[in-house]
Amino acid sequence: MSLLSEVLTGGIRGGTSIEYAALGESVSERGGVVNLGTEGAMLCGALAAYAVSFETGHPWLGVLGGAVAGGLLASVHAFFVLSRGANQLATGLVVLFLGLGLTSLFGVTYVQALAPTFSEVSLPLLSKIPFIGPIMFEQDPMVYLAYILVPVLWWVIYRSRWGVLLRAAGERSEVLTAHGHRVIPIQYIAVIVGGMFAGMGGAHLSIAYTKSWFENMAQGRGFVAVAVVMFASRDPWKVMAGAYLFGAALALSPALQARGYGINQFALDAVPYVVTLLVLILLSRRRRDELPEGLKKVFEQSMAT
Amino acid sequence: MSTVTLPTAASPAAAEPKPTLAEVLDRLRGPARMLAAFIAALILFGIVIALKGVNPITAYKDMFTSTFTSWDSIAGIVVRSTPIILAALAVTVPARAGLINVGGEGQMIIGGVSAMGISLAVDGALPGGFTLVLMILAAAIGGALWSLFAGVLRQYMNISESVTTLLLNYIALDLMFFLIYDRWKDRNGTGQPTTRALPVSERLSLIGWGRVHSGVFIALGAAVIVALVFRYTSWGFRLRVVGGNAEAARRSGLKVGALLLSAMAVGGALAGLGGLTQLAGAEFKLRSGFIATYGYIGFLASWLGRHRPMYVVLASLLLSSIAISGDSLQLDSQLPAASVNVLMALILLMVFGFGTKRKAAA
Repeated sequence: MSLLSEVLTGGIRGGTSIEYAALGESVSERGGVVNLGTEGAMLCGALAAYAVSFETGHPWLGVLGGAVAGGLLASVHAFFVLSRGANQLATGLVVLFLGLGLTSLFGVTYVQALAPTFSEVSLPLLSKIPFIGPIMFEQDPMVYLAYILVPVLWWVIYRSRWGVLLRAAGERSEVLTAHGHRVIPIQYIAVIVGGMFAGMGGAHLSIAYTKSWFENMAQGRGFVAVAVVMFASRDPWKVMAGAYLFGAALALSPALQARGYGINQFALDAVPYVVTLLVLILLSRRRRDELPEGLKKVFEQSMAT
Repeated sequence: MSTVTLPTAASPAAAEPKPTLAEVLDRLRGPARMLAAFIAALILFGIVIALKGVNPITAYKDMFTSTFTSWDSIAGIVVRSTPIILAALAVTVPARAGLINVGGEGQMIIGGVSAMGISLAVDGALPGGFTLVLMILAAAIGGALWSLFAGVLRQYMNISESVTTLLLNYIALDLMFFLIYDRWKDRNGTGQPTTRALPVSERLSLIGWGRVHSGVFIALGAAVIVALVFRYTSWGFRLRVVGGNAEAARRSGLKVGALLLSAMAVGGALAGLGGLTQLAGAEFKLRSGFIATYGYIGFLASWLGRHRPMYVVLASLLLSSIAISGDSLQLDSQLPAASVNVLMALILLMVFGFGTKRKAAA
């Protein structure tokens, strides 16, 4: 396999967990709530998916478990931010700590366990397309589910009635109130749905990508997801591209090492984070205007005691 | 006549220094609410570990006795809290200006790396005390530059510092790994790669109480200075104006950009010093678990102390003792040490949610 196709294949594989988490964070931010606890929701999702898959023998039930666990953790964030008026960014990090602690507490028993996992499935016909086929269509089922989710989510956000309500909650909550809608329940749904997606991202990490569970296995992917959402302006298609870009940066390291390049492993490990930072910088100019009104307050006046 | 005028003349004078009963109750409610929030967190954590089949009462008893009941263990808390106080102040100063610095972890690592770099470069050619001073300076400058990068991105590119500082943590960690596994690896070492140890003359001296080292004076001194600067300098005042309303500050002629950048740089310098105290006071070499989430614990401590320097010190001591009691959870209750993260998070959540009167939802 050429270096390019190897990096692209690996990019999709490695980027999918971030794609799920970033799609979820897009929903949450569209509703006006930033969730840095995405990292924690991914961890909870990863453990729950692995544990459920192990106990039941069905990886798809694991995905469901991951979504539920991620949604539960996000509901903690939603409660303290929406119902108790706590600072969004600080609460998100505390929620991450909660997820980190809970998963190491309940995860010990599954470190050695061998759970049923997803393996690659070649799609008939599609995988025969030259170059693109093996890259896009010889992946695990959760990758394909993500392909479908992106346009669906795009439609929901921009074309459906629910999307209008969601965007209004984040942009012009007073208009919603004037039309007799209650803003807080919409935001609750947005944050919890966001956490469920992050949980599915964690699920992909444990039962499809690494095929294992270990403590703190998300390694900053949840934070990267938040960064991806920032430079992707909460647009599902751009989120997908950003997530695969991070994945490609991740895939670069093993691909180069396999070809005998003597580059230090840790220098390569830093590449995905450096790339994310660089993209944030390159795409920074136009971003602020696209930020939902409700979020400008969060990012520019973060101080709250 | 005089009986009519006297009370009106006397009552305003008496009312001003003497607060009303409602005010006194309000003032008492703060600490009482905090205490209630703390107890609620302990109960919730008790339920969580009971789900793991651990008796919460025994676990709390073990945690308490192992953490507080001897002078040696209290010295251990002071040692642990030294870098955490500095990491917390690194959050407090930018927070004054409305910035969220989540990069304490990376800034501490860079501080430690810079100091180690000085020690390796000098290689014993200078007197130890002089090298130590250089190391302190390098740690502060290194940390400041690392955080300043996020400050510049925030100021000129409008990229939220809360996200960039987090990403920079991972980059700092990989940088340190690169050095200890490659360039700076101690070739005589066995096991996990580390750098060579600092010579004794370049270490922070012990103060004669357990393993407590003079870094504790750096930490407490920094807290006092930050408190004084907040209260008495115009810089401290301006930071608060910017943090309160940046637009109003800009219109009243304050140099908002310079204030934000300086707050960020000072924060990074404090975290860098935290890394130095950990290197020159406790670890003596760089290894993979060098900072061990102290930066994040400092973040929690600053928020727990509501970004007021003296409360932040107390919060750091509290969270340090909880972090240490995690060792007891591991030894006595066979739970992973990271489980204490749950307790810390619950305390913070309870305080965020119930420690004060409910604020209007953001």
